[in-house]
Amino acid sequence: MKLETKSLVLMAVAIVINVVVGQIAVWIKLPLYVDAVGTVLVGILAGPFAGALTGVLTNLIWGLISDPVAAAFFPVSLVIGALAGILARMGWFKSVGMTVAAGAVIGVISTIVAVPIIVYMFGGVTGAGTDFATAYLLAVGQELVQSVAIANLVQNLADKILTCLIAWLIVKRLPMRFTSGFAFYGYTKA
Amino acid sequence: MAVARPQGADHALLYVPGRSFLHRLNPLTKLTLVLWCAVAAFALPPEGTIPLALLSILIGSFAGAGRVFARRLALTLLPLSVALFVVHGMLVDHAGARASLLGLDLSREGLAYMVRILGRIAALLSGSLLFVCTTHPSRLLKALDAHRFSPGAAYVIASPLLLLEPFTQRAKAIREAQMARGLDLEGSFMTRVKAFPALLMPLVTLALADIDHRAQVLDGRGFRAMPHRTVLDAPADSRQQRAVRWAVLVSIPVLIAGGVLWHL
Amino acid sequence: MALINVSGLSFAYESTPVLQNVNLSVAPGEKLAILGGNGSGKSTLAQWIAGWLPRGSYAANAGEVTVEGQPWAELDAATRAGAVQFVGQVPMQQLSGFSFTVRDEIAFGPGNLALPEAKIRARVDAAVEICNLGHLLDRDPFSLSGGEQQRLSIAAALAMQPRALVLDEPTGNFDPESREALLAQLEKLPGALAIVWCDVTLGAPLSVAERVLLLDGGRIAYDGDVAGLLTHPRTAEIFGLPAVAQTALMLRERGLWPAEAPISMDVGRVASALRPMLESAR
Repeated sequence: MKLETKSLVLMAVAIVINVVVGQIAVWIKLPLYVDAVGTVLVGILAGPFAGALTGVLTNLIWGLISDPVAAAFFPVSLVIGALAGILARMGWFKSVGMTVAAGAVIGVISTIVAVPIIVYMFGGVTGAGTDFATAYLLAVGQELVQSVAIANLVQNLADKILTCLIAWLIVKRLPMRFTSGFAFYGYTKA
Repeated sequence: MAVARPQGADHALLYVPGRSFLHRLNPLTKLTLVLWCAVAAFALPPEGTIPLALLSILIGSFAGAGRVFARRLALTLLPLSVALFVVHGMLVDHAGARASLLGLDLSREGLAYMVRILGRIAALLSGSLLFVCTTHPSRLLKALDAHRFSPGAAYVIASPLLLLEPFTQRAKAIREAQMARGLDLEGSFMTRVKAFPALLMPLVTLALADIDHRAQVLDGRGFRAMPHRTVLDAPADSRQQRAVRWAVLVSIPVLIAGGVLWHL
Repeated sequence: MALINVSGLSFAYESTPVLQNVNLSVAPGEKLAILGGNGSGKSTLAQWIAGWLPRGSYAANAGEVTVEGQPWAELDAATRAGAVQFVGQVPMQQLSGFSFTVRDEIAFGPGNLALPEAKIRARVDAAVEICNLGHLLDRDPFSLSGGEQQRLSIAAALAMQPRALVLDEPTGNFDPESREALLAQLEKLPGALAIVWCDVTLGAPLSVAERVLLLDGGRIAYDGDVAGLLTHPRTAEIFGLPAVAQTALMLRERGLWPAEAPISMDVGRVASALRPMLESAR
């Protein structure tokens, strides 16, 4: 599948958006990552294939610049980009309500993909804040997989809904001269 | 959804400039070795992964990247160790004998599991650090171009790395400007959440504004006019390195088979 | 045959008309300036001349642009790249975003054509010489100043060995010093290269151009030499005339300007036109 040059440039910029917006979230001490805004944006503008590729490459770039272990989570990012594209194709980014629903779907499914990686590769922990929730759930008698799933689901749902809302807001504000170059956007435009 | 990220880390590369043997190796040879390390990290028991990690750290230090190795390994392994100790040493109901340490009731099985995970992550991390610390992305891309890799794929790897620095600078400039206008990054949770769009929107708008023009610039310069490109000063390759790459690739299935047999 | 031919071109963004029945041709090696105020359509015309339009859903309402007799759409990517190169006004947007050094940025285009390494090196060396970039070869393109980036973009364009170079307000954000440096560099360009310089001011482009087009509301209002542009009624309204040209026009109105001398913006030329008159008065 050969992507247009414009889609390739969008993907490159989206990867930068992922990283820099994630950085801004750290600045304002948000307890969420918000590091997939660009990936969702590409899903909406250029479709599931470009979205998935943007996700995978973002993790690869993370690996090169700061944390090689982050690359291990590439399947999660792949699913986020692909789902954003598929849901956009179904018209789920047309309104704010639908966008929240899309964020919830992406949050649930990406958690389902992330949990086996966390459990198998990292023994159920990530070295981040969610480990406290995991430990708490274990202490009150949950099994490991359930604990990891619940702890990450709560955080991930909030994260992906916020991510989708930001991406939706950005797309809505784009000038027509810009979006007209992305035929796939026709599925989102009312 | 990634592992804990170093707070306030800048986006400079992990690359450490140098002229060591590893620096001079063809990036594709190093990439093959990383692949081998990644498989070994999963296939080998702790008796294999821990020495592998130690060996990588030793080589990395000789290549001049000791400080990066120490920092990255500490940032990743310390929080993981604490979390694994609590979760598997104390909480998860592992079968087998329990041990008591400093008044804590610990599972021996759980502690062994913790060592296994830590050995695996250490091997994985130090193996990939060997590559990342001694390979500038431009060398990797030139090696890929020289091996007739698709120019489009090379672009989406190169371009974010190049754009990251100017855009991080832009983001910082926007932050300073907004703070001068009274934005409070130390305020209450709601104040900070409200600051998010003010910081993010101008940046994203700016980033997207360049796209159309840059795509035209690329097409105008014959981007993807041919299935592959010519690069100046491609990294040196040799028959020995090609042989090593093949040998490493062939050994990977053997490694996997060995790992499976060991687990049986 | 004309290098570039624009015939009966009309174009609109959505429903806003931008160009209306534009006709012009550029000969090989010709130095042309297309001048107009903001919103006159010159940037859009520049993009048509450079083959950046039509694209996506944007097509001409009427007319077409041909390169050596062939419409843009019929040329393959490599031929297009060797025909016309475009350098726009925002320096950072002109960079490929592919290259980690200035040398690789210049080599990017010829590399895309899969030319042999020796040929690429020769092209890079030639472009570096013209654009005076020798001391910056190993720098990150994104770390350069705007003026340096613009010189780099022109070098990268030259490395494609085009037959025409289209410049859209290339000195727009420059201080006078960088502008002088760029002009000095343009003088070193090969004579066979056609230049189409689009701008909103009279100064810099007129020191390069032999022929000037005045674009007003999407139509060509004037097509001729520099002297004729300075006396065109719309010129003073759109651009404001420099003091030298104003003085010359005033003198002409009062019958004090020598009939054979052209109106110019160049102080030296005006002085030499006036010298015989002043000497005879003495």
